[in-house]
Amino acid sequence: MPTSSGSIAGPVQALINEFSKLPTIGPKTAARLVFYLLNRPRNEAQSLAEAILAVKDRVRLCSICFSITEEDPCAICSDERRDARTLCVVAEAKDIFALERTSAYKGRYHVLGGVISPMDGIGPAQLRVKELVDRIGSEHPHEIVIATNPNAEGEATALYLSRLITPLGVSVTRLAYGLPIGGDLDYADEVTLAKAIEGRRAL
Amino acid sequence: MLLSTLHLSNMRNYAQLELEPAAGLNLFVGRNAQGKSNLLEAISLLGTGKSFRTSREKDLIRDGFEIASISGEAHVRAGTVRLGCTVTATPRGTRKMYAVNGRGVRYAKFLGSLRVVTFVPADLQLVSGAPAGRRSFLNSALAQEQKTYYHELARYQKALMQKSALLRGDAEPDADLLAIYNETLVEAGTELMLARDQIVRALSESAAMVHAGWTGGAERLQIAYVPNVPFEVPAQDAIAGAFAAKLRALAQQERARRTTLVGPHRDDVDLQLDGHSLAAYGSQGQQRTAVLALKVAEYSVMLERSGEAPLLLLDDVLSELDPGRAQAFLSGVGGFEQAFITATHLPEGLSQARVWSIDAAQVRPA
Repeated sequence: MPTSSGSIAGPVQALINEFSKLPTIGPKTAARLVFYLLNRPRNEAQSLAEAILAVKDRVRLCSICFSITEEDPCAICSDERRDARTLCVVAEAKDIFALERTSAYKGRYHVLGGVISPMDGIGPAQLRVKELVDRIGSEHPHEIVIATNPNAEGEATALYLSRLITPLGVSVTRLAYGLPIGGDLDYADEVTLAKAIEGRRAL
Repeated sequence: MLLSTLHLSNMRNYAQLELEPAAGLNLFVGRNAQGKSNLLEAISLLGTGKSFRTSREKDLIRDGFEIASISGEAHVRAGTVRLGCTVTATPRGTRKMYAVNGRGVRYAKFLGSLRVVTFVPADLQLVSGAPAGRRSFLNSALAQEQKTYYHELARYQKALMQKSALLRGDAEPDADLLAIYNETLVEAGTELMLARDQIVRALSESAAMVHAGWTGGAERLQIAYVPNVPFEVPAQDAIAGAFAAKLRALAQQERARRTTLVGPHRDDVDLQLDGHSLAAYGSQGQQRTAVLALKVAEYSVMLERSGEAPLLLLDDVLSELDPGRAQAFLSGVGGFEQAFITATHLPEGLSQARVWSIDAAQVRPA
């Protein structure tokens, strides 16, 4: 499959280039997508283009939790049935979708907009940390659940927030580490298993 | 441990290779640049998941191709294990993927299924070279042996990079963040120091014995761990306490010099002969003998701790050594189950070896 310029028509190459900029898509996949679209009716291409523009034009950030939304405030923030006493702090808006799929969490959210990583030039000032502290001051939640990823940056961010929030008299919790459900102890890696032993609980 | 098959595809100068190595000694003889080191590099990669020659992993892929693959089957105590590693060139850099028994796994899980002790000419600089070489010697031995060591090392290095970035930044570093990174450094670093202290003691004992055998006990070889954070007793609390105290003591200096000054990333290992540092006072011959003893010790300690003989990979080192030393080294690791040795000429005195000839990436029984 041709992947570099030369004989290919200009618009085709231009679209391949655009697709290649997307995460997880390399030049080969990009070319595949373009040739697929070439064979589809015009209205399909039209609705794809419109959907992409709509995302940019109509979606904005919720002024309370900074999740993505069409209406401000977002559906979760304006839902009276959600428990306002619990605030779950996530790195990105996409993490809310993952947590909402569980239907296990009934509280509200706060999106940081990333995690602390000085290597990438991201400190607390680049995230919505001040906004979180302001919300704690005005909404008086009882518990802050920190749901950053269990990797180095997520951990550092969680520890930082805990240092910052605990003195405000709010209880700070962290998602548990553990074994995947339906998994096999045999297949768990040593580190996860060790964490699961540390975090064991009474039955 | 025994590697029973090796399969290479588009790795370095090999288009395709199927090899069934023999138990015991495998000797690969060929002129330079025919693919001898590449073969050893591939075997080592199945053990450590990394190249012993390059950090530019794209070099592992044959020119003009996008994917290199290395796989093999090994007999270990737990049974038969199939290991695979592919290196793929993408526009965003190279990507390595690992598999154990056909199932994709993360690096941490892949590491250590097959253990290798590698000896390359560059190792002869281990005594006189920079401390980084000695640290990576310890790291590679320990990471193969203990999964938790690799995990703590990765955790330590990540926190260290973040802390350095924070210190180098334009703004005054956030004190809370510094404290968080320091806490991680102390936690992970303490584990590294404990493991290093232990393995250096074991290496020192083993190397001294081998060395005494070679030199008739005329000189006493000692290997000492020189941690950046000195500690009295090798216990978790004591080390963590000493580490935290030194971080506090040098906090001002770290900020002023905008760099990290405290921790096991600045550790060293000192090899001494009768109490004198070999790096400073040893002759080249004395330094070489000490490295040989250290390598034999690495092999013995790995064997002793795991109860399984690691594979021994010697890349072109026999030719660097005089016949006496080469013979002494081979009898030092007398108990090996399988060894892979490359040389430009058939060395003398290597009996009972399966000899292979390598010519332009073709490997044939000689």
